[in-house]
Amino acid sequence: MSETLNTQKPRIDGALKLSGGADYTADINLDGQLYGYPVGSAIASGELEGLELEEALGMPGVVDIFHHDNFDRTLKHSPNSFAEKNTVSEPRLPFEDTTIHYHGQYIALVVADTFEHARAAAQKVKGKYRANDQVISQFDELDADNVAGLPGVLQEGDGQSRGEADTAFDAAEVTLDHHYSIATETHAAMELHASTATWSGDHLTVYESTQGVVFQRHALSHVFSMPPEQINVISHFIGSGFGGKLFMWPHAIMTAVASRRLKRPVKTVVPRQSVFTSAGSRPRSIQRVRLGARADGTLTSIRHDGSNETAFVGMHNDTVISATPSMYACENVSVTNRVGEVNHGMPCPMRAPGEAPGLFALETAMDELAWQLEMDPVELRKKNFAERDPASDLPWSSNHLIECWDNAAKRFGWENRTAEIGAMREGDEIIGYGMASQSWEAMRLQCSARVTFLSDGRLQVSCGTQDIGTGTYTIVAQTASELSGVPIEDIDVRLGDSSLPSGPLSGGSFATATVLPAVKAALDAATQALIDKVTQDGQAFSDVDSGSIELSDRALTYGDRSIPVTTLLEELGIGQVTAEASAEPGDEQSEYSFRSFGAVFVEVRWDPGISRLKVERIVSTIDIGRAINPMTARNQVEGGLVMGLGMALFEQTEYDKSGYLYNANLADYIVPVHADIPPIDVELLDYPDYHLNAFGARGVGEIGLTGIAAAISNAVYHATGKRIRDLPISIERLLMAN
Amino acid sequence: MTEYFDPKTQGGATSKSRRNFLKTVGASGVAAASTPLWAQATQARAAETPEGDPAKASAPAPGMSRIQLNVNGVERTVDVAPQMVLLDVVRNELGLTGTKKGCDQGQCGACTVLVNGQAINSCLSLAISRQTDEITTIEGLERGGELHPVQQAFWEHDAFQCGYCTSGQIMSAVAVLNDDRIGQSDAAVREAMSGNICRCGAYKNILAAVQDARKAMKGGG
Amino acid sequence: MRAFDYARPGAVGAAIAAHAKADSAYLAGGTTLLDLAKIDIMQPEQVVDINGLGLDRIERLEDGRVRVGALVTNTALARHELIETHYPVLSQALLSGASTQLRNKATTGGNVMQRVRCPYFRDGASPCNKREPGSGCSAIGGVNRETFAVLGTSEQCIAAHPSDMCVAMAAIGATVSVHGPKGTREIDFGAFHLLPGSTPEREHALEPDELITHVTLNAPERDARSGYLKLRDRASYQFALASCAAQLTLKGGVIRSPRIALGGVATKPWRALEAERILEGKAPSKALFEQAAKAAFKTATAYEHNAFKIPLGQHAIIAELGKLTGLATTQEAS
Repeated sequence: MSETLNTQKPRIDGALKLSGGADYTADINLDGQLYGYPVGSAIASGELEGLELEEALGMPGVVDIFHHDNFDRTLKHSPNSFAEKNTVSEPRLPFEDTTIHYHGQYIALVVADTFEHARAAAQKVKGKYRANDQVISQFDELDADNVAGLPGVLQEGDGQSRGEADTAFDAAEVTLDHHYSIATETHAAMELHASTATWSGDHLTVYESTQGVVFQRHALSHVFSMPPEQINVISHFIGSGFGGKLFMWPHAIMTAVASRRLKRPVKTVVPRQSVFTSAGSRPRSIQRVRLGARADGTLTSIRHDGSNETAFVGMHNDTVISATPSMYACENVSVTNRVGEVNHGMPCPMRAPGEAPGLFALETAMDELAWQLEMDPVELRKKNFAERDPASDLPWSSNHLIECWDNAAKRFGWENRTAEIGAMREGDEIIGYGMASQSWEAMRLQCSARVTFLSDGRLQVSCGTQDIGTGTYTIVAQTASELSGVPIEDIDVRLGDSSLPSGPLSGGSFATATVLPAVKAALDAATQALIDKVTQDGQAFSDVDSGSIELSDRALTYGDRSIPVTTLLEELGIGQVTAEASAEPGDEQSEYSFRSFGAVFVEVRWDPGISRLKVERIVSTIDIGRAINPMTARNQVEGGLVMGLGMALFEQTEYDKSGYLYNANLADYIVPVHADIPPIDVELLDYPDYHLNAFGARGVGEIGLTGIAAAISNAVYHATGKRIRDLPISIERLLMAN
Repeated sequence: MTEYFDPKTQGGATSKSRRNFLKTVGASGVAAASTPLWAQATQARAAETPEGDPAKASAPAPGMSRIQLNVNGVERTVDVAPQMVLLDVVRNELGLTGTKKGCDQGQCGACTVLVNGQAINSCLSLAISRQTDEITTIEGLERGGELHPVQQAFWEHDAFQCGYCTSGQIMSAVAVLNDDRIGQSDAAVREAMSGNICRCGAYKNILAAVQDARKAMKGGG
Repeated sequence: MRAFDYARPGAVGAAIAAHAKADSAYLAGGTTLLDLAKIDIMQPEQVVDINGLGLDRIERLEDGRVRVGALVTNTALARHELIETHYPVLSQALLSGASTQLRNKATTGGNVMQRVRCPYFRDGASPCNKREPGSGCSAIGGVNRETFAVLGTSEQCIAAHPSDMCVAMAAIGATVSVHGPKGTREIDFGAFHLLPGSTPEREHALEPDELITHVTLNAPERDARSGYLKLRDRASYQFALASCAAQLTLKGGVIRSPRIALGGVATKPWRALEAERILEGKAPSKALFEQAAKAAFKTATAYEHNAFKIPLGQHAIIAELGKLTGLATTQEAS
């Protein structure tokens, strides 16, 4: 069929983004708007005994300062339910009590007439604290007495275990048992979190940088005890989020309260430092992996015990073990995860949560096992390929992991690898090759959409999801164009508005698989609505069985009779025909297991004379079903690989012993820059997964970030003989490791 | 509340660029005769934002200075406090919100603008000290409704995702391509563009776009 | 960021007079001042913009020295023919610093006056002897990795001097020309920056209201070779974890007039004098460089997170000397 699907299409919002015309939240200015600027706690643990406000209140332009003593007592907690779409990031309400749980916790919001005035006054608000002697941490050191040797409290419901992992481990011919750790990371989306609130009577409109307009609407409705219909959340363009903007943060509540009390729009752009302290992170994790195998490489036992930090203000289980039960055919698998509270800001999902940290541990362990067995790491994985999902014992909907391994190895030139450590050299540089498997669960959720035939021939498609940079605007337009015959330039896509039919979060790589079926359902419904009208007495198709009329090439057709939709609308004397419909997953969810897979190969160069490690090139072959737009899909995978390069080598959100977040800025929190980027070769396999949806698409946002850190770590070992099990693989770790 | 505007009142720049883009890459879909309504609202608001009004009757407010800024070839009169940085002035006072704030500390490059042809971080520059300079923002790159070759190349190569760092990337790229002192190799471009962080990680496509635009700029000026 | 008054004088004398009138700060490129003003660490009542003073020329003096105006930008200095030809170490150091955009703004005088990158200094709240003398040092016992020193530290302050340019100037040798209310004077570059000692709030030798007008580089030795090696986590846009600026000549198979300066590892641009003494008059060899590198860090004090800077700094010295003397093939990344 396809002319527009599975085709490289430049983004329909490209001209706006490239010319400065796309409006992100902070770009929106409303008449009479005031500016909010938050004040963060200087300590991480203790009590806020008071605030010095006098100087700030007397400064030019200051309208009001919001804090514990004057904050709105009518606010309620959101139930924080994913199923009911009201999840929030930090359950605690802003200024709710005077306990300080983390460095940077908001202690006040200054509101003034200009940005400059708000910031100047905020800098004069000082907290008076009674600091706890020591930061409270249940996560500081490994607890050897603990069953898993890991800190934190065991979480229920993680046991997707099967067989007898411990018994099998004890009986295994070859075993390994190692701990892996990953530093706290921060999403650091380029767009600062921002919220602008304005009230009109009892109606609240919030412009927010969010990955979920519908979730935020529902959360606000609980916090403010208002019906959702009285709240609208708008987010036309988002400067990405990577999970950091999935769920509402306290700044949005503070801003809406301030706007209500002051009866003027209030805009709060969260300063970069506060984005680090108070708007999410991937929590530090420690993992223990035990593998048992036969001498021929057959896995007989996998035990993967994880743990992650969470905050005192809320529980976040990062489920680092989530991929493990499905990765390899092994009869005995045990997984657990533990969570421990610390005086740090609230963690939240960060791109490929669970899988990115979990596959670092598992895929590094697999490499270690391959060395122990003196086996090629690719062969070891192939030996343990799972023909069906061993966790659910369901068949895969579609799984081409073997082709991923083979293709990527070939593109990379894996056959040129000399297995011996440090044996490959060029000049002063030692070359290392490493590889790992990649995986991400493919989900699909319920979704509604609306389609309208407009009198001028255009087709309008609306859905309450949003485009965070993944290309949702474009693939919705491609899909609607493909199905209707309306050229893509005449598709008017509306997203990023919670008053539209309820759409999904932009996260978890499920937006594409979720939204497109709803677009199809809505188009079918709108077409049927049109057919119903034109088959009535006196209309163009009154003599025809409505079931035989089709929409094609912008016209309704029956046999050789074809009448353009615009003509039909004109004859009907109505401006447009519109319909809304929903689509949701069905029985296939219990019949198949849905997962995307990939393989990533990396070459590193290590120059021991100057302790310089660099990634020389990356090759990845990915099986994501069908890419609706291979250009934007490939871009997603490449971006994930880049973020994974940062995870492997640079990124660590550092807290000192007092819980002070030391590097809350983009100079000291090291993310990859352009000069760090090696040539990247991404191949997308094209095996549509029609079990998941009619478009065969499984989603692509996360998978690039899985496996890559392990592949880099494995390549580092190949080059240096140093097995670094702690991320990031910093210079000091390379220098100090044996 | 978002206001929707009559598309006919929109400046034709963007849609003309899109048609041109159509011709360039033969992409059947992209030439948007229709700008989505939210996009039109965006452009209209930018256009309607009260410009620094030379005919301002009243004197500047206390603590403010009335200055002239040459932005995108237009002399603008604007009242600023001395501590206001160029970034906040172009965004909040001149309504040119294409220039983005990503850190406000010179650590990300999202706010990059050209001053006398050189790329600088507008977050670390006082507006009041720029009265004799020629300032170019992302909004000033289009010529006669045509996208600049660098903008065009960014579109063709999908050299962006979320778009937030993109204005800064493009401004840096324009400066890099106009600077003979910067080498033309991929490594030289990567180093020269390292002051523009793209957290989406679209670097591969950014590099391809910059190198492609180099050819286009040589060919067509 | 507090509100301030703004003055843009047209002459050096007027600038100094204006500066003396209030609690003032000179504005050159603004990359340090505005950064610190925004976070309320610098709170001038008045900003004196010196960009109208015309101090933007690079000229060769009759005695062979090169005089650089305080307002010459990092980019202009790095790309100037005199610098590229006679002082490659300076050109390389400048181009390794910050980003293209920042180098286009940052100035020679401003870079000499660059402030430390200690987060505890910059946060306005933590105890910090530099910001609030006597309040303590949060970095000792806190996180002290990237921007902290192992040389020249004191119990009062361990923040590293962040400049690349200054490290190169320390290796080249230079004089800082200043104008002040009492007239003009010249300060030897090595004496310009002060060790923290017991007074970390005093960072340099400038007197109140004094203004840097020029930095004059020592005349290059005939046949001198020089270079800069900067090591850091990512490949660009980061302060040095360790860097080495080196200048020397090779005569008759031995090293003459070696000058070695270190960055990222010290509280001021750091001359490795002991290393220079070891190198003088000796034939280049890996063992010699290792001996010099070891000597350079003989007095180093490692803190909890920056002990690796000692071997890393030694690597920088050995690799740069190897490069300059043709012993090593290691090339600095472009």
